[in-house]
Amino acid sequence: MSTETVTFNLNDRDITVPKGTTVMEAAHKHNVYIPHFCWHPGLSIAGVCRFCLVKVDNRPKLEIACNLQATPGMKVSTLLPEVKEAHKWALEFHLVNHPLDCPICDQAGECKLQDFYMEVGKYKSEMDRPKVLKPKALDVGSELVLDTERCILCDRCVRFEQEVTKTGALGIFNRGDRAVVGTYPDKKIEHNYQDNLVDICPVGAFTSRDFRFKQRVWFLKDQPAVCPGCSTGCHVKVYGKPQVRTYFRVKPQESEVNGHWMCDVGRKTYKHLNQDQRLRFAVAADGKGGRQRVSVAEAIASLALQLQGVAASDIALLVSPQYTCEEYDALFAFFVKKLGVSKVFQWREPTENLDAFDGLLYRGDHNPNTFGLSEALAKAGLPKDVKNGFEDLARSGAKVVVALAPEIEFQFPSLAGQLQKLSELAFVSVWTTSGSAYNVKGLRHLVPLKGFAEKKGTFRNFQGKVGELAKPFPAAVDEAKDVVEVVTALAEVWAHA
Amino acid sequence: MILQTEGLPDQHSLKTYVEKVNGYTAARKVLGGMSREQVIEEVKQAGLRGRGGAGFLTGLKWSFVPKDITGPKYLICNNDESEPGTFKDRYLCITNPHQVIEGMIIAAYAIGANKGYIYTRWEYQEEIRYLENAIKEAYDAGLLGKNLFGSGFDFDLDHYTGAGAYICGEETGLISSLEGKKGQPKVKPPFPAVSGYLSRPTIVNNTETLANVPWIINNGAKAFRQFGTEKSPGTKLFSISGALNKPGVYEVPLGYPFASLLNIEAGGMQPGRTLKALIPGGASAPVLTPAECEGLTMDFEAMAQRNTMLGSGAVMVIDDRQSMAELLKVTIEFFAHESCGQCTPCREGTGWLNNIMDGIMDRSAKPDNIARLGSVARNMGGKTICALSDACAMPVMSYVQKFSGELQAYLAAGSGGHSK
Ligand SMILES: Cc1cc2nc3c(=O)[nH]c(=O)nc-3n(C[C@H](O)[C@H](O)[C@H](O)COP(=O)(O)O)c2cc1C
Ligand code: SF4
Ligand code: SF4
Ligand code: SF4
Ligand code: FES
Repeated sequence: MSTETVTFNLNDRDITVPKGTTVMEAAHKHNVYIPHFCWHPGLSIAGVCRFCLVKVDNRPKLEIACNLQATPGMKVSTLLPEVKEAHKWALEFHLVNHPLDCPICDQAGECKLQDFYMEVGKYKSEMDRPKVLKPKALDVGSELVLDTERCILCDRCVRFEQEVTKTGALGIFNRGDRAVVGTYPDKKIEHNYQDNLVDICPVGAFTSRDFRFKQRVWFLKDQPAVCPGCSTGCHVKVYGKPQVRTYFRVKPQESEVNGHWMCDVGRKTYKHLNQDQRLRFAVAADGKGGRQRVSVAEAIASLALQLQGVAASDIALLVSPQYTCEEYDALFAFFVKKLGVSKVFQWREPTENLDAFDGLLYRGDHNPNTFGLSEALAKAGLPKDVKNGFEDLARSGAKVVVALAPEIEFQFPSLAGQLQKLSELAFVSVWTTSGSAYNVKGLRHLVPLKGFAEKKGTFRNFQGKVGELAKPFPAAVDEAKDVVEVVTALAEVWAHA
Repeated sequence: MILQTEGLPDQHSLKTYVEKVNGYTAARKVLGGMSREQVIEEVKQAGLRGRGGAGFLTGLKWSFVPKDITGPKYLICNNDESEPGTFKDRYLCITNPHQVIEGMIIAAYAIGANKGYIYTRWEYQEEIRYLENAIKEAYDAGLLGKNLFGSGFDFDLDHYTGAGAYICGEETGLISSLEGKKGQPKVKPPFPAVSGYLSRPTIVNNTETLANVPWIINNGAKAFRQFGTEKSPGTKLFSISGALNKPGVYEVPLGYPFASLLNIEAGGMQPGRTLKALIPGGASAPVLTPAECEGLTMDFEAMAQRNTMLGSGAVMVIDDRQSMAELLKVTIEFFAHESCGQCTPCREGTGWLNNIMDGIMDRSAKPDNIARLGSVARNMGGKTICALSDACAMPVMSYVQKFSGELQAYLAAGSGGHSK
């Protein structure tokens, strides 16, 4: 890449950018906002919405910033009255045939058309004629619903299908104001990246089946996180409503790891965090052959007791690669370094193909921290590539097993079966977020854990890149702890017993 | 110059073109020893301006093709001729197709293209037959194909028919269509001269533009400049229509008086008809009042002075029987129908104007809607990928400015005193 730069003037400020940069990109990087619909940094330039008009000194017409390369000495303004007037009219044109159904539109609150209108709109519309009506609520993909009436024909979705997934199911058909977006005959949008269309659609034309009509977005709080769905570790934002202990969706956050996108599997990783899916309290044996609900502290105390009753060689750990590096460090510091446990097994789905990759983001390793776990194992002086450890665990004859169950249940179809088998082993303490563990009656010891959006820590993706969980939500389950908290408490009780 | 074979026996044939007007001598001359630069220079000196509508300097356009680049380049003859009112390219291809082909050989050599296409609207079946016949004749005579005139220069020419959309006449829309895609213009830059057909350097020229080239080569730039005006040299084909005694296609020098074109060439208005308005360069040209036609000459400058354009040379004479409201309605309806729909101001603007016109036609529009036609049109112009948006906006603004009284009357009183 060339390191040549050019300096041009934007709104009376000199800006230096790499040669070849467009005015739009330059403005974006320097916090000057140029309104746009069709431009998207992850897609090619279409130049069709004609919203990003700017004035270049000594040029007769306004020009579109998205396709305008910055050249040395160029003077560009986004603030002149003629530019502002052009922006108003651009919106007016966008609204000519746009239904004003914001009150029932899912995009309301994060609709660029609505936002821009509030910012630069023509409050007295010039349009007093009937609008063109177009098809609504089309079934275009398993995750999607398309309302062509709201579409402003920015062409982003079409370019996404052509350029990113290369599936090309979408086109814009017909001409003039009869133009509509849609799928080609006998085609549907069939891939693992459908919800990106919802994200890039600047209006509410594409809506997500999963999210539709569930929430007004302005009631949601969002926090950054790392997707736990596979070893790519996409940077995401998790949206929840802590007051009602409910999470609603996951969206991508631009990063070097995932660019602008994320996959649909990853989007579903909020579901297991919701209270109704969760193990909500700790469980311990009641001493009469049954089990009872206890406080986490009590559960930890009873586990400490069990651990003290056996030799280190009779203790085993079964660990899923879905926990944070910090959690592994705490776990191994106590069990391996302090107690001298050496039987450590990995909890893996037997059918998973670790090396698979769809070419875009989604990897066959459906765990976010395989890399971190290997490293933690190596640091603790243990073999780091144990796979499918369940059978080995059963054969190991351990008397006390501490099992950190996979957090994302749908990635582990065999979870229920494995929990059932575990319950047949001696004493098993299952630490988990999963409410279904409670249904395995044989399990006599359960500790409720926090999910990925509720704790601090790091994942390391397949390349070893660090992804941070930095801003946790309050856990949807009061009693939930992260592994560091459980181990710290356990070590404390153990030391004083 | 262009219609050289017009009226000769077998005017369209290779034989006539070669024997009667020294056809293909210019191509022979060019390939026999002129350099590319010399050809471009000659055309530049001649001051030939594109006849497709915009009047851009042809030699200058050719010089934009990168010289130091290897790999294919293309020459496309824009024979789509979709501008309403225009039928001069059709006439040219039927009378003198070989001059177009010869022009293409020379242009292709000048820009270094070994492959050319003629793109014709599918509806023009008669024209297509003549063209395809001429191409076959040229191939059979060794005037197309490999090693032309022993020069080592190869040039293959194909004919392509489009499905008939106005937007396929716009050069990048034409290229999309030729590539087998939906005919819709692309953002510029990149310009076709750098990245056009199949992303390769491509020159798109109008049929008539190309037909001028052999004459310039044979007779020289200076001779060419003896016709026309300083800034509009040469002759021009005008397709003139309306209530005239002799509507048709006429070749006259640029700068020719409109009055002579109307009264001499076209034989004057039909008996009892008077001139109400003039559309001088196709439906996209702003309309002129009879007063503005006083002293009007047919050239790029005179038109620009009157805020209208020479366009494709489609002269439409509007007589006293016509309703300007109805004329505006069909004009807008055409553009709204033909807008490719990708740029918002054009897609929504043409539709909106059409919607307002519907209201004027059925008298449901509010009185301020006539002024609104103007404000919508003003904000559609100069803001889109191609000039179709302007092509709709410009006439609308001119009608509102010059004939709003008639539009008001139509809205208020039905037919406004005119035929319905
Ligand atoms: C909407 C639209 C339609 C056009 N239609 C035609 C056409 O039918 N024929 C043509 O030669 N040029 C047409 N043009 C102009 C072409 O884009 C282009 O300028 C021309 O072919 C260049 O040739 P020239 O330089 O020889 O004039 C059209 C332009 C626009 C914007
Ligand atoms: S559906 Fe959305 S993304 Fe696609 S063209 Fe319409 S507005 Fe743009
Ligand atoms: S690719 Fe992997 S990390 Fe990215 S969103 Fe999908 S599951 Fe999550
Ligand atoms: S101006 Fe109109 S016809 Fe031209 S590209 Fe834009 S939408 Fe298409
Ligand atoms: S953002 Fe530039 S034209 Fe759409």
